[in-house]
Amino acid sequence: MEIPYVVNPRKDTGLFNSKIAIWLFLASEVMLFGGLFSGYVFLRIGADYPWPERTLPVLPGLINTFILIASSVTVVFAWAALKMRKWRQFQIFMGITVACALIFMVFKGVEYGVKFKHQALRMNDFTMVEGHIGYVKAKGGDDHADDHADDHGEEHGDDHAADYARDVHGEKIEANQHVFAAESVAFNLARYHKPWAEDLIAEAAREGVEVKLAETLDFNAGEGGEEPVFEAGTVLSMDLLDDLADAYADNLTRNATWRKRYLRKAWDIKWEDVEENNLLGEASFAADFPKALELESDERKKAYTRWKAGMRARMAQDVTIDEVKLSSGSKPVTIDDESYASRELPAPGSAKFTCSKPLVLRQKSHDVITDYKADNSTISLRDGTSLAGAYKPSPMDFHDVDGIDFQHLAMDAEKRNLDPEITIENSWLVKNNPVVADLWTMHKDAIAQLEQNLIDHYGYRKGKDGKPLEDAAGNPVAKRVPTEKDRYRMGWQEIAYYMDLLDKHEGEGVPKIDLPKDANAAPKVTMTPKEHFMGPDYGTRSFPHLTIPRSEVLLDAKFTPKWNSYYAIYFTITGLHGLHVIGGAIVLAYYLFFGRSMYLSNPEWLANRVEVGGLFWHFVDLVWIFAFPIFYLM
Amino acid sequence: MSATATHDELHHDHHDPGFVRKYIFSTDHKMIGLQYGITAGLFLLFGFFLMIAMRWSIAFPHEPLPGWIAMFFPDGWEARWLQDGKLTGDAYNMFGAMHGTIMVFLGVVPLGFGAFGNYVTPLQIGAPDMAFPRLNMMSYWIYLAGGLVMCASFFMESGAAKSGWTNYSPLAGIADGQIVNQWLAGQTQWLIGLVLLITSSLLGSVNFITTIINLRARGLTWMRMPFFVWAMLVTGFLLLLAFPPLEAAGIMQLMDRVAGSSFFMPSGLYTSAEGLMEISGGGSPLLFQHLFWFLGHPEVYVLLLPAIACVAEIIPANTRKPLWGYKAMVYGVLVLGFLSFIVWAHHMYMTGMGPVVSTFFQTTTVLISIPSVILLTSLIISLWQGSIRFTPAMIWACAFLPMFGIGGLTGLPLAFNLVGLHLHDTYYVIGHFHYVVAPGILFGLFAGVYHWYPKITGRFMSRFLSHLHFWPSLICMNLIFFPMLTQGMAGFHRRWYNGGDSYLATDPESANVFGRTVAEHIDLNIVMSYAAWAMALAQVPFLINLVWSKLAGRKVESDNPWNATTLEWATPTPPGHGNFTTEPVVYRGPYEYSRPDHDEDFLPQWTEPKKPAEKPEESPAAH
Repeated sequence: MEIPYVVNPRKDTGLFNSKIAIWLFLASEVMLFGGLFSGYVFLRIGADYPWPERTLPVLPGLINTFILIASSVTVVFAWAALKMRKWRQFQIFMGITVACALIFMVFKGVEYGVKFKHQALRMNDFTMVEGHIGYVKAKGGDDHADDHADDHGEEHGDDHAADYARDVHGEKIEANQHVFAAESVAFNLARYHKPWAEDLIAEAAREGVEVKLAETLDFNAGEGGEEPVFEAGTVLSMDLLDDLADAYADNLTRNATWRKRYLRKAWDIKWEDVEENNLLGEASFAADFPKALELESDERKKAYTRWKAGMRARMAQDVTIDEVKLSSGSKPVTIDDESYASRELPAPGSAKFTCSKPLVLRQKSHDVITDYKADNSTISLRDGTSLAGAYKPSPMDFHDVDGIDFQHLAMDAEKRNLDPEITIENSWLVKNNPVVADLWTMHKDAIAQLEQNLIDHYGYRKGKDGKPLEDAAGNPVAKRVPTEKDRYRMGWQEIAYYMDLLDKHEGEGVPKIDLPKDANAAPKVTMTPKEHFMGPDYGTRSFPHLTIPRSEVLLDAKFTPKWNSYYAIYFTITGLHGLHVIGGAIVLAYYLFFGRSMYLSNPEWLANRVEVGGLFWHFVDLVWIFAFPIFYLM
Repeated sequence: MSATATHDELHHDHHDPGFVRKYIFSTDHKMIGLQYGITAGLFLLFGFFLMIAMRWSIAFPHEPLPGWIAMFFPDGWEARWLQDGKLTGDAYNMFGAMHGTIMVFLGVVPLGFGAFGNYVTPLQIGAPDMAFPRLNMMSYWIYLAGGLVMCASFFMESGAAKSGWTNYSPLAGIADGQIVNQWLAGQTQWLIGLVLLITSSLLGSVNFITTIINLRARGLTWMRMPFFVWAMLVTGFLLLLAFPPLEAAGIMQLMDRVAGSSFFMPSGLYTSAEGLMEISGGGSPLLFQHLFWFLGHPEVYVLLLPAIACVAEIIPANTRKPLWGYKAMVYGVLVLGFLSFIVWAHHMYMTGMGPVVSTFFQTTTVLISIPSVILLTSLIISLWQGSIRFTPAMIWACAFLPMFGIGGLTGLPLAFNLVGLHLHDTYYVIGHFHYVVAPGILFGLFAGVYHWYPKITGRFMSRFLSHLHFWPSLICMNLIFFPMLTQGMAGFHRRWYNGGDSYLATDPESANVFGRTVAEHIDLNIVMSYAAWAMALAQVPFLINLVWSKLAGRKVESDNPWNATTLEWATPTPPGHGNFTTEPVVYRGPYEYSRPDHDEDFLPQWTEPKKPAEKPEESPAAH
């Protein structure tokens, strides 16, 4: 059997099979990315927070765009070379195409990597702080500039190993964590999370804390026999937890099986009673509902239906596992002359352990279910584990703050008819941190100058009649004003600029800003070429340090999908696009490296395949051409 | 390709593949079709079983499940999910969500499109196989993987998905939040399964459309294609274009669950379990509904078209007259396919989209009834003045017409957003779409099984058992679904796990009109439940018939036992790998029955005309 039109096109349709298929497939891809792009539009239009604009580094994205466009051209050349049966030329062009794909993915990987290491925080008043956390030693602030070189590369060795907080596995802790000194721990035996229990045991061993079962758990109601008994004082281990969980599950199952049997028996008894005494008959209806006799026959029928239905619900109250209420009194439910109570085995759902001294545990904020209050004496974790003890101070320590953003706070203030600037000055961060207060003073100064520069350069708006426009308060309206982002966000370039001035004028109070009289002047440091790709160079730039107490923390995230819907849709679309790039590159590389034998036996078939692969590759390019402006430029 | 080469190839392919290549990892469209059919059948039984358990909880919410239902649950599972042997609300939600999911995504679509489409389409267009046989195989295995991933989650700590088959966020976004490793939560597994299923059906639809466009036999022009093939073509396009937006939604919801994003999570979401959720918020729950129903509505036609397609083949073959209005039906189905993309928001009248949007979708929804009515009317008129043979397939096809008619007509009121205020999420809606899917679509597919069984196995199905299957099924179906319409108008909500029992605690004389109305109609629950259980019994003859007839059924004497006209009957019985022994050539339209100029009452597409207009290379195989 041979499938026709694999290589040569069918005459009346003019197409070979895979060409139809790839166009159909691309149609479905259009719908897939169409769904995602319309998701972008929907999310952006409906955003109830300031949508991050122009937040990604444009240069690498732009380079990537040209790389992809170039690869789309070379893939056509590769196909043309095959059509002309020039294998060598095909190899060269296809090689360039695959290489372009690799370069694209490297740029993408760098861009992603920077995001995954970058911490963001939303405070209770919607102030946003961006930077890096988890670096302990630099908290004091004196020597941080020297140590920064190590911050971003493991390659520098472990010289400063002690500078980081580390967990039991020796991993650097770069997450927002609750620190809790636990005096006792109660595990939920149905669903405790094994890795956490293992960490807890390791932490206890490291700290020399003994964790022991608080009270004897007898799963056999003191009767001895097969079922296990766990003595108080048994030391916590994974085996012990396993055994406890098994014992719990066994007893639960046994009890449930018996409960079901007793309940069935109880209902059997009840139904016998119902039938014997005709409890659902008209006579009972009339007895229970004397007014029935006065009703019209139609109404009476309805009332009877309702009464009967209601009786079933009421009967459920008469039936329990131990006892059934009957018309003649009540009757205990027994099976083989035994009651359920005599068969029931204890099945405690949790096992409590006490610690010989408070055991300090760290848990990611996301995994702590209880709302934070400094005087909480118990907290519960996502897996149902409950810890009793006391909170330790667990602030978020930022050692390189490279972004302070009041846009959301300002938006919120405007919504409530408050002056955004006053609200910012009253925010926790500005009030409690002198460095941030200085930065804000300088920023306000800079923006005022920027506003003036714009007016000097562009002037005021005029109405149709040529007269200057006035706003409600009678002030002239400038043609161009600083954007919300200019006003309320200090990015890393601004912060580095202000910090530089602060360092130069140390001890002289808040330095004055002196922007050049130019509409394009901005209070920013100039990026080095490396910084275009990797973000700020923490080794040479100076950034402030902040300690944000736990009580001010509302939401934290790396620059990942969790941070906001912009990053969510950015990672989803570019991630899926990246998978398409990888998939396409693998297929094209397969033709390049393993296509030789097909080229020799059936070159037209290989050309068809490259054509189909090339069509896919063009589509991948097209998606990027849509993705680039909406994520990088808008 | 010479005739000898074909024969050699066939010979080669018949004997070479071992058991695994022939029955398991087969690339033959017929074997894949059977695999789809059997797998989908098992999923249908499983989904039906879930409903049997749910119906107990609805009818007798206070009594433990009886032994004949409970015996299917492992003890440990029962202890975890049942309360004293009764379904808990959680377990009911789980069963409900999975019943819908299984029936739609794992049962009916794979049966209609995967099984019938795969088996019959290449035969009817005279192709040796699908255009991409290995893709076809992959499509089946991805489908199976998706189905197993979804169902395996019943045995995880979280249990299976429990937020309805529509999986609306934020409910679906927060469900199973207590599970630390989100990849092992049922709600996440549902999404993974869904993405796999969508991938499978995308591969399938690309394959189908390519096959139909490019592998048609010589002489099989577009308007000579059987209606079945047209329906499959449109179904393919619906799957191709409607599923990807749901895949986008699935990926986004997956991100919400495992990456903590807030695509569908509004700002300030507060839950009893976690308090203020630690999420960024700012997402749009409405976006999920739009993306879901953009698939969800075309999906209805993905379910329906294969069933109509089967019926459209069976009716001409058994009335011995041409399909009435073939052209109108073809254009009707194309228009139907197009319109089905712009009616989706009629599922969302209650979301507050605004009157303009609602009015638009109300209009398109009413419009789509026109092509539906064209299809159904043509089928009904096809019966007129026919000399009907009531074969097993034909009785099912005949029952399909009124049953689907009820399903369609009960849908009309739901098209209006005013009526939606009252009927939204009630049993009326459940009754409406079950009339479409269960006695409608499933009857059509049953008809298909009885019709093509002789071609697949070479034996007829037992006539007695098929009647034993048909009549109880017909009665039970109506006893199950008609009372739902009544209950729905009385206000019964579709997700009550105890069938509205909580409204019975009210005094019969109380002024609570809603409670009293519910009480008056609550006895119907018991009728419907008994009917559902009887329905299960009624399927036993069918299962016996399937197996028994294969082993001991009456053998077919010709390759064309129904004296039908379309190409699948030109193949050997059962067709071998490569299907046709000689290259088929088509000379005429698909439904040439009772032609006055012809002695027999049927003239197959492949029969050479007496005075040939064009001379084929070799004589076509006519038996």
